[in-house]
Amino acid sequence: MSAVAEIHENVPGSAVHLVPALSHTDPVGDPFLRTRFALPARPHTFLRRQRLVDHLDQALRTPLTLLDGPAGAGKTLLAADWASGLGPGPPAAWLTCDVGDCRPGVFWAYVLQALRACGAPASEAIGAPADAAGVDHRLLSALAGELHDRERPVVLVLDEYDRVTDATVAEQLEFVLHHAGPGLHLVLVTRTEPLLPLHRYRAAGDLTEIRSAELAFTPEEAAALLELHGLSLPVQAARNLVDRTRGWAAGLSLSALAARESSDPELYLKEFEADRSTVADFLLVEVLKRQTRETQDLLLRVSVLERFCPDLANALTDRVDAEPILAGLHQENAFVERLGHSWYQLHPLFGEILRAHLRVRLPGQEPELHRRAARWLHRHGFLPETLAHSAAAGDWDLTAGALVDDLAIGLLFTGPSSENLARLFSHMGPEARSPATHLVRAAHDLARHDLDHGLARLRHAEEQLAHEGNDAHDAAARLSCALLEALAARLTGCPPEVEKAAESAAELRQEVPVHLLDKHPELTALLMTHVGSTLLWAGRYEDARAVLTSVAGAPGGASTALPREEAMGHLALLDYMNGWPGRAERKALAAVSEADRPGAPSPSGSGIGRLVLAAVAVDRNELGRAQALIDEAAELPSGTPDPVLAAGRALAAARLLMARGKVRDAVEAADPAVPAAVDSPWARSHEALVTSAAHLAEGRPDEAAEVLRAVSGDQPVCAVEAAAIQLAARRPGAAFDLLDSVHAEGRTGPAVTVRAALVRAGAAAAAGDGAAARKLVAQALLDARRERLRRPFLDAGAWIRPLIATAPLHELAAGWLTPAAPAQGERTVPQPPPAPLVAVELSAREHDVLDRVARMMSTEEIAADLCLSVNTVKTHLKSVYRKLAVNRRGEAVRRARDLRIL
Amino acid sequence: MRYEIRVEGHLSETLAKAFPELGHVVMAGQTVLFGHVVDEAHLYGLLARCQSLGLRVVEMRPVPE
Repeated sequence: MSAVAEIHENVPGSAVHLVPALSHTDPVGDPFLRTRFALPARPHTFLRRQRLVDHLDQALRTPLTLLDGPAGAGKTLLAADWASGLGPGPPAAWLTCDVGDCRPGVFWAYVLQALRACGAPASEAIGAPADAAGVDHRLLSALAGELHDRERPVVLVLDEYDRVTDATVAEQLEFVLHHAGPGLHLVLVTRTEPLLPLHRYRAAGDLTEIRSAELAFTPEEAAALLELHGLSLPVQAARNLVDRTRGWAAGLSLSALAARESSDPELYLKEFEADRSTVADFLLVEVLKRQTRETQDLLLRVSVLERFCPDLANALTDRVDAEPILAGLHQENAFVERLGHSWYQLHPLFGEILRAHLRVRLPGQEPELHRRAARWLHRHGFLPETLAHSAAAGDWDLTAGALVDDLAIGLLFTGPSSENLARLFSHMGPEARSPATHLVRAAHDLARHDLDHGLARLRHAEEQLAHEGNDAHDAAARLSCALLEALAARLTGCPPEVEKAAESAAELRQEVPVHLLDKHPELTALLMTHVGSTLLWAGRYEDARAVLTSVAGAPGGASTALPREEAMGHLALLDYMNGWPGRAERKALAAVSEADRPGAPSPSGSGIGRLVLAAVAVDRNELGRAQALIDEAAELPSGTPDPVLAAGRALAAARLLMARGKVRDAVEAADPAVPAAVDSPWARSHEALVTSAAHLAEGRPDEAAEVLRAVSGDQPVCAVEAAAIQLAARRPGAAFDLLDSVHAEGRTGPAVTVRAALVRAGAAAAAGDGAAARKLVAQALLDARRERLRRPFLDAGAWIRPLIATAPLHELAAGWLTPAAPAQGERTVPQPPPAPLVAVELSAREHDVLDRVARMMSTEEIAADLCLSVNTVKTHLKSVYRKLAVNRRGEAVRRARDLRIL
Repeated sequence: MRYEIRVEGHLSETLAKAFPELGHVVMAGQTVLFGHVVDEAHLYGLLARCQSLGLRVVEMRPVPE
């Protein structure tokens, strides 16, 4: 049935007096359908049956109640009548379920809203599901706990629960019911057996059950019901009618309606009893044929609609008489139910049968009816319904046009309905040729990162638009073009293109209705994220920061979650590059938690946040954690594989491999291997740095220095690391030049200042100025301690170890860099040999060489064994001596064994 | 797999069109819908369709091809 509910929930402008205006929104981003929280009104022909009300009162003594019976058995009205009669008893929350509630996030948002609507809200602390697909288990525990502790229990009635077919929702419901204990009485009104362990409840006496046999009308009740319809029948006639209809409430009502119109109702009913047709079909036809031709026509036509108001019905009939007809049908209690204000729906049972009749009586009309409905819904701003009906009509120009006109094209990329929209448009054939259809196809391609096809289609749409007039529809289409252009520019790393797109978007925003921009914040958020990401790639840090900050600070909502998370991740990368690991970590964590909510089926988001966290972890020498984060980021299914992400991954992976001493692998990993229109200063600098460090580690200081020329001066973290390499290559002058250039920038954080201080300290130590070195190292330790920046000290070289081992630096390093000093009184006899101060990381090659040294092999033997030249082996050995702060082979082996390197 | 679904009452020609993929025959106060059922999902879908049309299913069984 509900193609509409699949796209997303919506309120067809209706409201019910009983429910206060609600300001909350559901995870699908639409206002709540208020009618779903209102007790359905009982028609004047409703018959209260005391035996059922009495049985239903048992619901207040058992946790679970099941009202189970076929369509039209009178379940809903019974439950509504009972719930409205609770009076001063427990508050009764009502929720009419919908197909969309199969998604746990949506379901629980509606349950929470139902509690709020009945005046028994859950506390704010419990929060709300942020995602349509999932719900945090903590939310359910908190909700159950709160219900459990309440003084007054709550009755929760879930009507049409058969529409909730999801096993996860059933499990969660069972969990909450179990843990809420006496605080919750759940009443399920359903056509089908729910997926709950009913046998357990039954065995424990915790289940109140009213099934179809009990719901069936007795002859006496049937006679009373017919009386309400103005028909007086002898009991025997009522008995026969009950036999024929098996006491089915809908059948009885319909037969009363049909009989009332005939000249001899009793005779009429006798004939009906003798007839052998299926009850519903027969009676519906009987009642239908007694309606005027206009009424029949209207009923058949509106059967394609989920809900309708008189004006919409008129659009389908091409007449203007829907209002009195619908009011009359409702008055008669025939076919239509009133939802509130002037919205109606067909009784679900009759809707199905009427659709079967529509196909016979007005063959081939269905698509046209869907199209008319779509046009009306589009004019009145009901986007999801418009899309569902225009798609059902097979009118893709209309469907895509509605999406683009509404500025909703961003929903193809982000938000809970993107999947459903993609599924809807997957039926679109190549015959649809309007600009909007090309835009939708281009968006689909770009979302799958198929640049070639996406761009070709985008150009096609733009050409078509250029040939057409310049009206309001055009502005929306052109703005959609700008969004796609910006995305394409981001994927290709092309700042001029992205700026062109941003400029044209800024102009077009003036031409489109403001309320549409407000309705679709994801359009702006996505566009600005693409702009920010591209500017960041090109090294325009301040411009990028301004744009991305505006996205990250935009108001929340499910539809902007992805762009906000991406913007936050990019801002984290900016902080990292400026040497602020703590700030970067906070932003990256915010980005990751934005994207990766517990309860969601799998982690989502672009992964840039995780990569920044990994890089921060490397700086803290938490290498296992860094590896785990990089692996997680690689497994992320979605996200935009733009150059920034590729370079971020290269940066984090290469730094991790360097830290592990795998120099060759690091050099390989440092290349982001991404085609981009312009060069990125930071991506290039980081790559050069790794290459240079590799040259140095392998004993080629000149090459190392040469490669460093590629390091850009505006990269503080890179510049200080480059300075460290220059110093290690015995070029203190070049090192100091680099440091001076960084300090001039003045926007740098501890990751920069710590490394800068260590370079100066190293230079001082090399020059024999121990006091100056000690002072600088103390400064570095103070700066690094808060951020737990361990890596710079591990990379600094052998000279630092004796310094840190002595007071007062020892105190500054204890507890985070070196093991904590034993507390007083615990001191053991005698002073234990000083623990290894700093872990030493040898490269794989150095390790190979040292391993053979330990096996008493000569330099020549080692060279032959490893297929290296003797000189290379000597270089590796020198490097090992330097790292281990030793001067001879024997010492190196001993020291390595002490440090458990060998 | 071929199935036979027996529902109570005589199904009108119009309502039978709600099952375009099945043939039907009316006999002895019942209607037999029969034909090829693609898979389990289709089978449950047919049951749900019967339910939403207010039909009472009295028998449902696979028949040899």
